[in-house]
Amino acid sequence: MICIDNISFKYDEAGAYALKNVSFEINSGEMIAIVGHNGSGKSTLAKHLNGLLLPTEGDVRVDGDSTRDENALNSIRRRVGMVFQNPDNQIVTTVVEEDVGFGPENIGVPTDEILERVDEALKAVRMTEYAKSAPHMLSGGQKQRVAIAGILALRPKTLVLDEATAMLDPIGRREVLETVSEQNKRRGITVVMITQYMEEALLCDRVAVMSGGELKMLDTPRNVFKRVDELRALGLDAPIAVSMRDRLIKEGFPISDSIIGIDELAEALCPLLSKN
Amino acid sequence: MFKDITLGQYFPGNSVIHRLDPRTKLAAMIIYIAMVFSVKTMALYAAVAVFLVALLLISRIPVSYVFKAVKPMRWLLVFMFIINMFLIKSGRVIFSWKFITLTVDGIEQAFFIVIRLVLLVCGTSLLTLTTTPISLTDGLERIMSPLAKIKFPAHELAMMMMIALRFIPTLLEEAERIMKAQAARGADFESGNIFKRAKNMIPILIPLFISAFRRADELAMAMESRCYTGGEGRTRMKVLKLAPRDLIAFLIAAAMLAGIILAERLVFA
Repeated sequence: MICIDNISFKYDEAGAYALKNVSFEINSGEMIAIVGHNGSGKSTLAKHLNGLLLPTEGDVRVDGDSTRDENALNSIRRRVGMVFQNPDNQIVTTVVEEDVGFGPENIGVPTDEILERVDEALKAVRMTEYAKSAPHMLSGGQKQRVAIAGILALRPKTLVLDEATAMLDPIGRREVLETVSEQNKRRGITVVMITQYMEEALLCDRVAVMSGGELKMLDTPRNVFKRVDELRALGLDAPIAVSMRDRLIKEGFPISDSIIGIDELAEALCPLLSKN
Repeated sequence: MFKDITLGQYFPGNSVIHRLDPRTKLAAMIIYIAMVFSVKTMALYAAVAVFLVALLLISRIPVSYVFKAVKPMRWLLVFMFIINMFLIKSGRVIFSWKFITLTVDGIEQAFFIVIRLVLLVCGTSLLTLTTTPISLTDGLERIMSPLAKIKFPAHELAMMMMIALRFIPTLLEEAERIMKAQAARGADFESGNIFKRAKNMIPILIPLFISAFRRADELAMAMESRCYTGGEGRTRMKVLKLAPRDLIAFLIAAAMLAGIILAERLVFA
């Protein structure tokens, strides 16, 4: 469990707050999205989760250990893995399997176990056949899956994706999302997804909406996307099914305002169509 | 333009040469360099070239692939050839006009310099082509590790080298992209004299540098997130172990060097 306890953050002392009095908890095993437009503070918040940034005020505690505690920092980073936006800038070596092994090497895992962990991590992201490949020959989605494997090899409890799909094409994005939800469902890894894409928020159990460094909403996707007008005021868009739902309701169609997914919308519309 | 640079790139494979210990390969490379520099006759250059081609065949790296490493150097080679051709004024004169004299020795020497450079580049790229950067830097780190006792930053140097090798293709790709972007805006990299062309490179270099710094920053963060705290307490995914084949390879290289030096002294003296 990660406890974000009333944190505020400034990049430099004279500057404005990038985060202001943010408080919430990330529960073990959940999949949570943090959404917001550019400059909303969502990436700044992500970098607090494993102590890459330390809050100016307040505390972040991972299973009770504060990220301010330098002795706990390495162990916190082992528990909270982070995948970044640009896959090219987080791959350290020129062979896929050696890159996946980089994390375990850093924490002093014995050689036999490193090999075991690397195999396991590559299998989990379905990149086993590329174990000996050069990362720069892979597609964006594949590179990002290698980056995820590099984190999984550390056997973390939490996986933070800091806009990890932002630079990918739709196929790459789907690959990454499938990999991540599978890790969440099968192995119970907590997933924190920082994203601009509202469609990704639909996959999560909860959605945190950030704007101007503040936490504006924190609820299930269903409840958050009932407040579409508020989202629009914060510069965020609704998923396509939600926009369509609202327009249909406005036109007088008798459908529920809790619909958020395309499938749900289709199911609600089918009976209406057959009536006509 | 940049895609052809193979220097510092790993070519995946499973040949005997790929499997040699990086330390053996580093030692063999030093021997090879000594060999290239101790040769002074055509026949022995041919011998070294045959040795090199044999190594390439064993490593199953396409010969054309290795020669690609030479391609970006072609102007340097031409330049070296011309300079040397006119610098050496001993031997029989073929042609003389004002201060320019061309001699048999000059042409021969210029030719040798070019062969020497080509052999050096091909031989050393064989090292990086058959050794993954991790094992190469591991090897270097192990060789330098006695120096770590006197606070020599062996691990840090090895890590820096590995990252540099890793980012060569990324930065080349980026340079190419920036060039195309600038060309699309009407920048001209092809015409004009050498100074003008060099000046025209500035709009490529500045964005490239800025992005390299940004990449460095992000990489540092990603490494920290993966618990990197320096060389202390790290373990290895692949532990270096010397095998009998390493001794054999080393002996072959050493014998080759001894043979070349002897032949140079005795036969061709």
